[in-house]
Amino acid sequence: MMSLTELFFNIGSKLNIISVLIGGLALPAYNVGRTTLDIDIAIYVKSQKKLNRLVETLSKYGIQTQQNPKINHDLFTIYGKKNEAEIWLKPCDEFNWDQKMVERTFYIEKNIRVLSIEDFILTKLARSDRTSIDVDDIIQILIANSDSIDWDYLNYRIAWANVKKDFEKLLEEFSQKAISEYQDIANNILKQYQKSKQNQSFE
Amino acid sequence: MSKNKKEQAPIILSPSDIERAFKKVEDFQKLLKKGKTRQQIIKDLIKLIEINDESN
Repeated sequence: MMSLTELFFNIGSKLNIISVLIGGLALPAYNVGRTTLDIDIAIYVKSQKKLNRLVETLSKYGIQTQQNPKINHDLFTIYGKKNEAEIWLKPCDEFNWDQKMVERTFYIEKNIRVLSIEDFILTKLARSDRTSIDVDDIIQILIANSDSIDWDYLNYRIAWANVKKDFEKLLEEFSQKAISEYQDIANNILKQYQKSKQNQSFE
Repeated sequence: MSKNKKEQAPIILSPSDIERAFKKVEDFQKLLKKGKTRQQIIKDLIKLIEINDESN
């Protein structure tokens, strides 16, 4: 039996709609895990016609929405018989898709894509209702992936989304408050960021 | 890009927040070492969240 989430991704795939898992449920894709109660999916749809087609197809499979989603909306909620999920029309309420972001999505499972690690960090940092859990998630993602993060791209993105100050504050807190056992890793992360910042200033 | 922001949690970390973050990363690595894949973990989480829905 297919879950609402899997069914949604299958339908998205059939309709050639790029759909990515976001929020806490996507964390394992970045080597981090925690429990969550929410299912959040972001879709990249450029026309109202395609969005209507998605809603119609979902309905055929018993998945309903009580809203009449429009292309300029932030999100809509879909309902299976017992489950629900939030479908976002942008990766984060504070910014929209761009081509680079779409190209960097990757498959974590058949039909299920996620954002690049750098763009995912951005969704956590920039969201208008950011919580302390988001801040914890970012720290864990940095620890678990410091050697695989594209620091130049992350640097570009945090400037693009106007969250540079927040990101630098986070790195500062991290390197200053880490106990000695973790100091080397925290400093290494800070160093990689500073290096990418220098690279950017030379460009 | 720069809309008026709603309430955002401030970026404040304590040494214990950082220690907890490292421990959680270690725990996840242990799961992977035991043979769980990231894909399986996502599927397990979906199973935990979703109530068995026969209509699907």
